[in-house]
Amino acid sequence: MSADLVRAAQGGDTMAMNDLLSELTPYLGRICGPIALDNGPDAVQEALISIFRNLGSLRDPPAFRGWARAIAVREAVRIARRQHHAVELAELPSRQDVESAVDIRDVLERLSPEHRAVLVLRDLEGLPEEEAARLLHVPEGTVKSRLHRARRSFRKAWQS
Amino acid sequence: MLASAIPGASMAERVIAAPFEDVWAVVSALEEEFGTFEPDMRHLTIVSGRGSERLVAKARSRYGMRARFDVELRPGWCWMQSRFLIVGVAAAAVPGGTLVAQTGGVRVPGRAALVPLGVRAAGEKALARLEARVVRR
Repeated sequence: MSADLVRAAQGGDTMAMNDLLSELTPYLGRICGPIALDNGPDAVQEALISIFRNLGSLRDPPAFRGWARAIAVREAVRIARRQHHAVELAELPSRQDVESAVDIRDVLERLSPEHRAVLVLRDLEGLPEEEAARLLHVPEGTVKSRLHRARRSFRKAWQS
Repeated sequence: MLASAIPGASMAERVIAAPFEDVWAVVSALEEEFGTFEPDMRHLTIVSGRGSERLVAKARSRYGMRARFDVELRPGWCWMQSRFLIVGVAAAAVPGGTLVAQTGGVRVPGRAALVPLGVRAAGEKALARLEARVVRR
């Protein structure tokens, strides 16, 4: 998603928009899926619409990826919040629990959408925890203590 | 009719002082002429259905990707749709020439609505170029 491509799409080049959407859609899927779970596709749609509606206002085309990512995370959390009725765990399951879980989803479903988003940003996108926490308005200390033990298990499960 | 086919579409219109046949000869020549007024589509190749009302075309962008378009082409109506894009051109004979309308834009997968992004301005420029092209021929 080069800056030139973003500039061309901003200028109304339809084929550039096509290219941008082709690259962006699977990327947003990887962000929104683990946060919004069953509503991942809805979150991707909402994020795409928001990104393309606001593309003209992006002043810094090289920052496109991070800008799009922030929009996607916000949309995924918003949509997941609408559906979120689970009682949030005070403690994450231990690594043994995670590893013996039939599916990583079992663990994801027991986290709040914001914490799922932190995991995505940190383990899939490689953002520092404090940056992820800031993007999501989650206290950094909470993020650190709750997510520390699950880190490797999640990464292994997602990247396998 | 053209714009009512898709929510959120914006449309550009222009009357070109030339017979319908002359205007449509340019619009319907997808490989040779379409790119002269829709420069984003200048690398358009028909891959199947040549000569029929339903074709498949491939467009290549300057940025290296390709888009596969399903095309509906009949006199006065050209509708091209890919996974992410829609381009529509319609024309009809009117007193004094030919009324041409153009719409299009980005299509979000799973949504019918278009996200207009510079579409109207681009459409108006495209129709001005089409007029120039028809006059030159």
